Amino acid sequence: MTEHELNGLFQPKGIAVIGASNNPLKAGCIIINNMIKGKFPGKLYPVNQSEENVAGLNTYARLSDIDDVVELVVLITPASAIYSIMDDLDERMASKNDVRFIVCAAADYAETKTEEGIKRQERLMQAKDKYGIRIIGPNCIGVIDTVSRVNTTFVDTGVSEDRFGPPGGISFISQSGSVAASILAWGASKVIGIRYNKFISVGNMADIDFIDLLEFLEQDPSTKVIGIYMEGYQNGKQLIKVMGRIARKKPIIILKVGRSSKGSVAANSHTSSMSGSDKVYDAAFRQYGILRVEDLWELLDTLQAFDKMRLPDGNRLFVLTQAGGPGIYCSDEISKYDFIETPMVSENTKNQLKETMPRMAAICVPEGYADITASATIRQHCDSLRYVLMDPSVDGVCFITVVTPFLPSAQLGKELSDTYWSLDEKYRKPVYFCIMAGEAVIPCRRELEQTGLVTFDSPTEAVKAAKNMIIYNMKREKETQTGQ
Amino acid sequence: MSTFVLDEVEAGNLLSSYGIPMAKTVICESFNELDAIARDVTFPVVMKILSPDILHKTDAGAVILGISSLDGMSKAYQTILMNVTTNCPEALIKGVIVQEMQSKGLELIFGVNRDAQFGHVLLFGIGGIYVEILNAVSMRLAPLTRLDALEMIRETPLGKVFQGARGARYNEEEVIQVLLNLSRLVQEHPEIIEIDINPFLVYEHGKTGCGVDALILCEKD
Repeated sequence: MTEHELNGLFQPKGIAVIGASNNPLKAGCIIINNMIKGKFPGKLYPVNQSEENVAGLNTYARLSDIDDVVELVVLITPASAIYSIMDDLDERMASKNDVRFIVCAAADYAETKTEEGIKRQERLMQAKDKYGIRIIGPNCIGVIDTVSRVNTTFVDTGVSEDRFGPPGGISFISQSGSVAASILAWGASKVIGIRYNKFISVGNMADIDFIDLLEFLEQDPSTKVIGIYMEGYQNGKQLIKVMGRIARKKPIIILKVGRSSKGSVAANSHTSSMSGSDKVYDAAFRQYGILRVEDLWELLDTLQAFDKMRLPDGNRLFVLTQAGGPGIYCSDEISKYDFIETPMVSENTKNQLKETMPRMAAICVPEGYADITASATIRQHCDSLRYVLMDPSVDGVCFITVVTPFLPSAQLGKELSDTYWSLDEKYRKPVYFCIMAGEAVIPCRRELEQTGLVTFDSPTEAVKAAKNMIIYNMKREKETQTGQ
Repeated sequence: MSTFVLDEVEAGNLLSSYGIPMAKTVICESFNELDAIARDVTFPVVMKILSPDILHKTDAGAVILGISSLDGMSKAYQTILMNVTTNCPEALIKGVIVQEMQSKGLELIFGVNRDAQFGHVLLFGIGGIYVEILNAVSMRLAPLTRLDALEMIRETPLGKVFQGARGARYNEEEVIQVLLNLSRLVQEHPEIIEIDINPFLVYEHGKTGCGVDALILCEKD
């Protein structure tokens, strides 16, 4: 297979940052810092007319002054400077002809729908017309590739490097820069920070758009699941076709806004995209097996579930709880989705649970539900999980525990994860761990997540992630069965 | 973009030719034809004016229900024409429609809209006069696969009815075929902007359903 054109965007030889700065309040400073902090192994060239060096790197007054190869240019200057920068680019291309990509972060282009804004965007786009340079933005926060360590964003998550997990398989495309920044920040603030695989804020999509990026991620071997925040797109039908094709191989989770008529008007004036009839989008997503989520939390939780867990084999979800209230609450959440079924575990499994759990435990009353009670020890937590996972009628488990003062939080997490990972591969079915609640249970959740398990804030989040996994699996199975 | 509307008879014929069963409808263009029509249809019938200019036929006194004899048809014919002459003197009259009345069944709606971005979108759901209020409909982009059609049905509350809720015995296959035929129709006729079949009546125990009212809006080239 030939290399995808956009590979170069994520693995450029030499990055020039026009508008790089030492002023910590400027985006041009954060970009450079992010790249240094992220240990970008390639060459970085700050371009700035007034400062001699930025973050210890030699600066260049003009793009055309840089002797070495520059494949990616990041623009973080005010939009009004676009004309002189493009003249500078023309000069560089006349002598070196090496630039292949531009990430234009600045706003105040065609999205303003003003004559001047449109003119600026046209000048920017001449780089594509003249030299075939591909452009991200304008009006975006840029791109991240944790594999190659390129990071052109100016988002400071405030989370230290050691709080992040290893690079995962989640890649994300956002039409809004601010939502992109929030997704980065929220992801970073999870129990173990999410390190997105590829992260792209597309802005006005003057050139590179959803379809280009989706097709790139489709063939990107390290992307396992794709998340999207979308306001609208001019060619909905084409987009849905591409998404539908990809969704058969990699799950696509989308937060599309503009459901309400007010939201839709705002979306239109925001990114100057045609938001399209939301109801039709909704129908098209269902038809093509693209998972539409309701909010940012469901988006992140679902992305993590798909990244870390294997797909369930079926739709039978067991509720295993150590506390009555949260267990009932979880059952209510599950009952919102009539396609989720109750597993009927075997007599053998029931007997194993009855013999080993506390005397007061309610085993399979009702079916598909077990309350092992607050007196359950760590051993009993682990045993019950093992018995339930080994039952052939169970496709997945919502595991809820409210960590009591007599349960050592971190040890519980460690032993649960040991139990899970010591099981035969076939029994390592999806488990949606709900360790409640708040700050107190972080040690337990961290132990679980460090080994690659996924934990959720409450049964609501756990069940939403579970139902999305089930919908995806059912859709794929139906397609396979019917050949459609 | 200029458009034109197919009248009930034209719409019915087009849909029937694509395998979508429609209630038997005959145009009567003169009083003398009534006798032959009466021998051809099954009573009771409903008679109504065929005119592109009269949208609210009931208000114009141009619909008469429950006619069960040739005598009744003759009277209805005269009454309808008299009412129309009085209430809508300017209207163009193409004739009077004689349509076989359908027994009470489960009312469905089938529809198609041509979306600016997505092209033809099919719609299915609970029909009748409260379609908008109940809003129990599902949509899919054309062309439909059989699986899409099945999912459209299952996505609405009707899914449970077709699966036998409260002992219901409706024929889901009939609905699937209407959806697939509609999909084929609009694939072959991109000029169609809108189709609205409401109600489409379905019955239990093997009695074949049919569309009663249909409207088709097309783009004029």
